[in-house]
Amino acid sequence: MQQEDIHNYLKSYFIANNCEITRENNGLLGVQLTIEMDKEIMNRPFYWHYLEKTGGVPQPMELSFFTSQDYKKEKGEFIHFGSPRLHQIFNSTKKLASYIRMFEEASGKPGYNMPLHPWLCLNIKVSYQCDRKKDRLLSLGIHLISGAVLDNFHSLLEKKELTPKIPDFCFTMTPIIKPLSGIKRLEAVLASVIQADNHSWAEDAHKRWAADLDLLNLFYTGNEDAESYQVEKEALRKQYEPVIKADIINGGMFYLTPQTSVG
Amino acid sequence: MKVEIKLNEEWQNEFLSRIEDDGPWTNWDLYKLALQAEEQLSIPSFDGLQAPKHLSHLTPHPHQLEVAQRVVEEMNGKAILADEVGLGKTIEAGLILKEYMIRGLARKVLILVPASLVSQWVTELNQKFFIPAIAQKKSYVWEQCDVVVSSIDTAKREPHRSIVYAQNYDMVIIDEAHRLKNKNTKNYEFVQHLQKKFCLLLTATPVQNRVEEIFHLVSLLKPGHLGNLENFEKDFRAKNRTLENEEKLRSLINKVMVRNRRADTGMDWPKRFVKTVPITFNQEERQLYDEIYKLKEEPGIIKSQFSIMTLLREICSSREAVFMTLKKMLENENCTEYTEAFVHRMMKLIENVKVNSKAEKALEIIKSIEGKVIIFTEYRATQMYLQWFLQQHGISSVPFRGGFKRSKKDWMRELFKNHAKVLIATEAGGEGINLQFCQHIINYDLPWNPMRIEQRIGRIHRIGQEGDVHIYNFATKNTVEEHILTLLYEKIRLFENVIGELDEILTRLGMKNIEDHISDILLNSESDGEIKIKMDNLKEIIAFQQHQEEDNDATRRYS
Repeated sequence: MQQEDIHNYLKSYFIANNCEITRENNGLLGVQLTIEMDKEIMNRPFYWHYLEKTGGVPQPMELSFFTSQDYKKEKGEFIHFGSPRLHQIFNSTKKLASYIRMFEEASGKPGYNMPLHPWLCLNIKVSYQCDRKKDRLLSLGIHLISGAVLDNFHSLLEKKELTPKIPDFCFTMTPIIKPLSGIKRLEAVLASVIQADNHSWAEDAHKRWAADLDLLNLFYTGNEDAESYQVEKEALRKQYEPVIKADIINGGMFYLTPQTSVG
Repeated sequence: MKVEIKLNEEWQNEFLSRIEDDGPWTNWDLYKLALQAEEQLSIPSFDGLQAPKHLSHLTPHPHQLEVAQRVVEEMNGKAILADEVGLGKTIEAGLILKEYMIRGLARKVLILVPASLVSQWVTELNQKFFIPAIAQKKSYVWEQCDVVVSSIDTAKREPHRSIVYAQNYDMVIIDEAHRLKNKNTKNYEFVQHLQKKFCLLLTATPVQNRVEEIFHLVSLLKPGHLGNLENFEKDFRAKNRTLENEEKLRSLINKVMVRNRRADTGMDWPKRFVKTVPITFNQEERQLYDEIYKLKEEPGIIKSQFSIMTLLREICSSREAVFMTLKKMLENENCTEYTEAFVHRMMKLIENVKVNSKAEKALEIIKSIEGKVIIFTEYRATQMYLQWFLQQHGISSVPFRGGFKRSKKDWMRELFKNHAKVLIATEAGGEGINLQFCQHIINYDLPWNPMRIEQRIGRIHRIGQEGDVHIYNFATKNTVEEHILTLLYEKIRLFENVIGELDEILTRLGMKNIEDHISDILLNSESDGEIKIKMDNLKEIIAFQQHQEEDNDATRRYS
């Protein structure tokens, strides 16, 4: 992530959270936090608690971030990839943006109401983990009428114009597949996608595990009752055992025009 | 591979209830940002390092990055980091830890370091690596904090011990791990029973005296890697060692240990200039020395040869040092009348000593040097004497000891840097302080363990040193000190050639050389009984000494 990207990210984050940008320059960003955002990222519960008790006038903070070394002398925080503040904001974003419902901007006409089809989208992070690790991001969408599943669903959504309110002269179709069943179906699809992946990493991990276990057994030959033997064995399992994890990053309901179904 | 996927139910339940309640829903921009963040944070590949892009302000040296990558990719996160002093083992450990934390493979981390280094580790991890490490101060810290720095001495004691064992640590890092070379200690046993998923042992001196030490260290990290002790001793004990075996041992060790030497790093290192400074005793000092030396023929006054050697070495340092030891002998309840009489006789001789020849020489050298000077001595009494002595001649100095608290160490370092000309350090002061702004070291007396001298020099000959480094070795003529210098230091050319190569060390330690035995006895005997038994052999060894030296001269002539 380049410094410029970080600048843009911060700006979008604060705007999306209704904060006012008080000044902006190349590599410099001033933000007036809202009360909610102050509580979200400033970590000063005592101040807010005190204020609520005494009924004072809330004064959310104004922050300056800089992403270019040119502003080093200014008061504010230098933000770069890896800085705790940025990671806090990343986490905050994920927390605040877990669930969504959007409608495709469609032009229905008076007398002709456009049907919008229900889609359920899940953005998922899959982790392959042993003593090493790799992630894979997937975006799956399921058509809650036909059951059709589309990959890369998020990129498809990004090309569309979406709105949080149902557009005029449009109506949403009632799902035939319930959202929960939709999630279960996506879970199954996900499993088969992962199944088809190359898992030599897991085989290799098993080999490393077995090799270390052999050495360990040799070391404790004749002394198998030693407490540390069990501890070490368990440590090897934790170190090497291949595990696949899947977490939902975010997702939601999208009501899209009928063309989408074709894919 | 059988794949079973269960997506987080918490998310699902919350989602369904929001559908029920018709919201609240996030906005599209934030939704996209969340995915963008996840893309940034996800790990694209099993290989390579993610840590550097998270640490843009830190510019690790290439050898440090290489070490980190090798530990993750080839050593599966279990390694002995054994770079020479001053090459940045802490940075390497920080990089590796950061890497595992970024990858989500390490969350709960235990870092065990000498008590004096706790706060330094905490600061470095926080400032250089943005790792929120906490110093263990209250017992709740073990459970509530993820990355905890503590001394082994604290961690191994109840009530901490049980709490520590109950934590599931993903990674354990141990600094100055050579302290764990003896498997019969409480510390060793404590670490052995810790669950070590990933583990880093840091030491500049993986082998100090005996090849078994590396066995014990490796067996903490990866039990069985060098077989069990029985097999190991059979195959690799000095006596039985063959070239083939040695090669095998080396390649095994290299699988779990990385050791960079200054020469390998491709960095431009300042030169070392080493000078031996012979000291001649004045008459009074000589008399004192000879009187005590005679004791060797008269066992009984002083119970062990060990004490005689100690006294002899102390005389070479300062009359104050001998005085302290003699005083302790008087205070000992087993002190016989005979001994008492002897001690009083020696005290008289000590009083006769009016001038310390070494101190005079040190003064002369310090005056001739423009910059700052570090004096290393083995004795507290000498340290205090020197401080007084230098002050008499208008030279300001600061003392430094390993036992100082971190804050005091830092303060002394600052004092030395900004206000004093000389820093006088005792042996224990060697670890964990960087004095690269100083270019001169006086080894006022020499430790008998070559690795410790390397640690001394490493305080100034490290990353950041800009000038050449000058080392002055004091050795009093016709004393035990001279033998040590010739044998230990000149013979193995310790000062010029940084001893580093593991095989070199192993070979050297495998040789039946006198320095092995001496330092072995002094450093590794734990009871008086043990010392006595070993000391019975010492006479023979001392008799050897002359012989060895002759051999030595011969070799030097032909090399």
